[in-house]
Amino acid sequence: MLVLGIETATPQVGVAIGGHEGIIASFHTTRDRRHAETLAPAIRFLCEQAQMKLSQIGLVAVDVGPGLFTGLRVGLATAKSIAHACRVPMIGVSSLDLTAFPARFSDRLIVSTVDARRGEIFYATYRRAPGGIQLMSPPAVDQPTDVAAQLMATGAETLIVGDGAERYAEVLGDVRGAEIGREGLRHPNAGALVELAHARALREEFVSPSEIAPMYLRAPDARINWQQRERS
Amino acid sequence: MTTILGIETSCDETAAAVVDDGRDVRSSIVSSQVDLHARYGGVVPEIAGRAHEALITPVVAEALVEAGAADSDIDVVAATCGPGLVGSLLVGVAAAKALALVWDVPYIGINHHEAHLYAALLDEHDAEVQFPLVTLLVSGGHTMLISFEGHGRYRLLGATRDDAAGEAFDKVARYLGLGYPGGPVIDRLASEGDPTAVPLTRAMLDDGYDFSFSGIKTAVINWVRAHPEVTAADVAASFQACVTDVLTHKARKAAHELSAAGICLAGGVAANSALRERTLDICMEDGINAYLPSRAMCTDNAAMIAATAWYRLASDGPSDLDGGADPNLRIDFLN
Repeated sequence: MLVLGIETATPQVGVAIGGHEGIIASFHTTRDRRHAETLAPAIRFLCEQAQMKLSQIGLVAVDVGPGLFTGLRVGLATAKSIAHACRVPMIGVSSLDLTAFPARFSDRLIVSTVDARRGEIFYATYRRAPGGIQLMSPPAVDQPTDVAAQLMATGAETLIVGDGAERYAEVLGDVRGAEIGREGLRHPNAGALVELAHARALREEFVSPSEIAPMYLRAPDARINWQQRERS
Repeated sequence: MTTILGIETSCDETAAAVVDDGRDVRSSIVSSQVDLHARYGGVVPEIAGRAHEALITPVVAEALVEAGAADSDIDVVAATCGPGLVGSLLVGVAAAKALALVWDVPYIGINHHEAHLYAALLDEHDAEVQFPLVTLLVSGGHTMLISFEGHGRYRLLGATRDDAAGEAFDKVARYLGLGYPGGPVIDRLASEGDPTAVPLTRAMLDDGYDFSFSGIKTAVINWVRAHPEVTAADVAASFQACVTDVLTHKARKAAHELSAAGICLAGGVAANSALRERTLDICMEDGINAYLPSRAMCTDNAAMIAATAWYRLASDGPSDLDGGADPNLRIDFLN
């Protein structure tokens, strides 16, 4: 089964196509917040170079976040529309899973991060498991100093990956036994998305497009106009 | 025949429609988020973006089903690419480009304001539309008097110098404690009120084509403060009559000066009963055509996007797949 993977949770746009034989084609670009402009041409380019048509896709995998809200929505709207038009199922994978997956050959505690802006990071922790990674603590959003304090308390050897770790390298790198993973471990990887989704698809863990929802981890910024509410 | 799927997500409505040849509306689905935003007293961009993401696929699916259109029937996919809330616009643009990619058909990005101008021309089968038309584009965000000289040819005659007409409706409704949005509730209340109850000066601004509504709004508020016994219905009727008088007076004057073939209403305020009646009366008296969009086509919808796409495709061709959204997109006026 051919899997199309779409990843737009960070300033990066990533797309990949793969199947039983592994990743056939992948493309990543990091032009800040140009998801909507880049994504569709990237998918077209990928299909052309892989000499295939979107109608051959059997599954659409998408990064559901956490990450940049608008980026996520562009990725999800695109992925759902393709899945719907191709009448194929979907699989959603967390951006933190995708950032941690390439670090799976380390025996250290893996802390996967995504820059949440406004002085916070999205993060989750993982351990190496046979064939991949295992989630140890669920995705959360916190200030880097608080995450550093938690890591300090565990006393574990840690590998901290993702653009959140890079941005707050001074805070997180100070934790005893911690190392910041940089190039290659900076953004969620679309190839990892296709690999993880393909494995899950074989176990029939797919859903319909309507069951895929972004993982925002933050309530929308909105202030209730109490004055107006009281009057009405 | 060209069948176009239109998508509109510029503000707080998620909409999709299937339209043949810019005129025949086969389906028009609008999923409103008004209830989501009502308690905040206005549209919250992040809430709107989240709702668009959740609704876009089911709304598009429903538009296709209701039109009885197979995927292979769609020749073009169009989406609003501005102006509007960027986080909302991008959801529709992304969905439209994805569908165009799968179906291997052109994508075209459409200006939301231009599409409002075309809403009144939907379902106009009888004859070729006669130009020029004087168009009043009146909504919560804009008030413009436009000379619609031909397809894709617009000249700006005048605009509001402060509040948009719809904004004034919202603010007056809010002051009276009538809730949001203000247009429909003022329209309803006004039918029970006396339009001469509150004396309001018609702000004509030296008789040019510009408008000013903030003074009318302030005059209303001051009057209510000084006369707390006045009923909300009388205030609504007086305010609505004043705004209608100013809008139609300028449109009529422009129609005379330009020897226009008709007057056309566009935008959310075009759904207002008094404005529609007065416009019809004027056109009847002056022997020119009146183009009033159906009420459903006044507010944001995707049928007008699909219709405009048909005209734009003929004149400009499709958009590139790497097109994004422009929250400040303007109509390309001749002047």
